[in-house]
Amino acid sequence: MNSDDQLILEFQQGAREAFVELFERYREPIYGFFRRRLEHPARAEELAQECFLALLQNVQRYEPRASFRSYLYGIATHLVAAERRKAGREVVENEKLDDRAAGRNAAGNHDAGIWLRKALGHLEPSEREILMLREYEQLSYGEIAAVLRMPVNTVRSRLFRARAALKNQLLPVK
Amino acid sequence: MERHAQHAFEAEEVMAYLDGELEARRAAELAVHLVSCSACQEVAQGFRALSERMLSFEVERPSPAMNARVLAALDSSTSANQARTSRALDHGAWNGRPVFARPRNWAIACVVALVVTLALAIPHTRRAETLPASGRNLRNLVAVEPGLAKSQASDLEAQKVTPEDDVQSALAGAPPPPGEELKAPENVGPMIVQTASLNILATNYDQASAAIDKLAAAHGGYVEKLDAKAQTGNARELTASLRIPTKQLDGFLADVRKLGRVEEETRSNEEVSDQYVDLQARLKSARATEQRLIELLGTRTGKLQDVLEAERELARVRGEIESMQGQSTILLHRVNYATVQVDLSEEYRQVLGSGPVSTGSKLRNALVEGFRNLQDGAVGLLVFLFAVGPSLLFWLAILLVPGWFAWRRFRARAQA
Ligand SMILES: [Zn+2]
Repeated sequence: MNSDDQLILEFQQGAREAFVELFERYREPIYGFFRRRLEHPARAEELAQECFLALLQNVQRYEPRASFRSYLYGIATHLVAAERRKAGREVVENEKLDDRAAGRNAAGNHDAGIWLRKALGHLEPSEREILMLREYEQLSYGEIAAVLRMPVNTVRSRLFRARAALKNQLLPVK
Repeated sequence: MERHAQHAFEAEEVMAYLDGELEARRAAELAVHLVSCSACQEVAQGFRALSERMLSFEVERPSPAMNARVLAALDSSTSANQARTSRALDHGAWNGRPVFARPRNWAIACVVALVVTLALAIPHTRRAETLPASGRNLRNLVAVEPGLAKSQASDLEAQKVTPEDDVQSALAGAPPPPGEELKAPENVGPMIVQTASLNILATNYDQASAAIDKLAAAHGGYVEKLDAKAQTGNARELTASLRIPTKQLDGFLADVRKLGRVEEETRSNEEVSDQYVDLQARLKSARATEQRLIELLGTRTGKLQDVLEAERELARVRGEIESMQGQSTILLHRVNYATVQVDLSEEYRQVLGSGPVSTGSKLRNALVEGFRNLQDGAVGLLVFLFAVGPSLLFWLAILLVPGWFAWRRFRARAQA
């Protein structure tokens, strides 16, 4: 199986199937990325599309420096940031996460889901972002550092703080 | 966790270990330690449980409608390439087995196979050639910092930076190094591109090679390319190409010199002020042209012919602007980030050659060498298999098919 980084280079040289393969691999993860960070599912889907379109349009300028994943999630992160700036209220993140918790959810995990989202909502934004990139997007410390443009050591220490804080938030639930 | 602070391992290291992010030697130590230390086991268990709990934040799957737009955009962007590839793949003759029964068809098939192999191989070899080159030229490619894009936009046209611009600038390159933002050093003396190179003989190679990227990060820089070579019987070598903020260059070089004995050091400066000023002037005039064309098209009083002409011209000017912006970004990045080449080599051979050696270190050296031979042998075999395996299988399949037919015919004749 080809690595992501090979596929994007193949696509750069005109191999359509390479892009289709990448799209297959990242369709759901990228949608999940936006879905966990935005209020409306429809908007999440639009931005997921936009993310892939941006990848398409800019493929000639892609250079293999960091991993492909960090490049892709870098685009996604920018789209979310732009979206929040447009909405003009980045700070009410807590409420958003709570709203989502109250809304649709898989039946079995309902309670756990609500508590978790509430707890996540109380984390410091940059620490929360690192934690989410690690747990949901499964990025390595180095990839997170590349996406968020910070040193790897900072990623590690903030991730540790985020996990400690989340553990504290979740304790009373037990 | 307070109890844990007195331990050989901090909770943060346990976390990094579980994330697969602890440096190999330390990870091995921790793995051993975890077997017997209940405090660390508890910490590890805590992290595992937390990760598990986070899974309760589930999201639904995207609707299939999402595919349509992306794939439509893909087709419109690659329709030319697509036509080429599908024509190459639509050789329906491949699935009919009797086709191969006739020798003439078989010969044709062999020729086709050869052509296909070549067609597949040529782009691959070309890529193999271009890849390292693009790695080496990385410093010449665009690496747009959002801060830089902003300062450029505000300097040059006092235009508001929209989120879209921001996204575009982020797309232009892979993530830039952490640390301070780039600024165009306008009216602050000459713009100088600095390069430095160091050859170092490391007394402790492992430590030194591990320290290089940490040092770069500590000075706000980053590793652009890293090559490690370890040939049997030779000292190990590492070549690193680093980008270090120009202001930090002296401090960084001082730190690097401490990694071992400096065999050679060179530095060079190139002034690019004129180049930059010239580029900015051309950019400004291209922008003015763009503006005029936009106004012209806005009024649309001319003949259709003129309108089309103006649109073509606008597209051309915009292409020019984009290219000049790219060049200007590259230039600024080169001014702001010095290029440092560090060649690190191990003092391995010298130890062997210097005077009488104790039996202990002889044995150790032999063991080290033996282990490296083993490693090299295994790697070599893998490389060989990867390189030759696919084509071997391919040709084997092609040659076995007629053999099988011949054998079947022979058996059928024998029975009859
Ligand atoms: Zn312990």
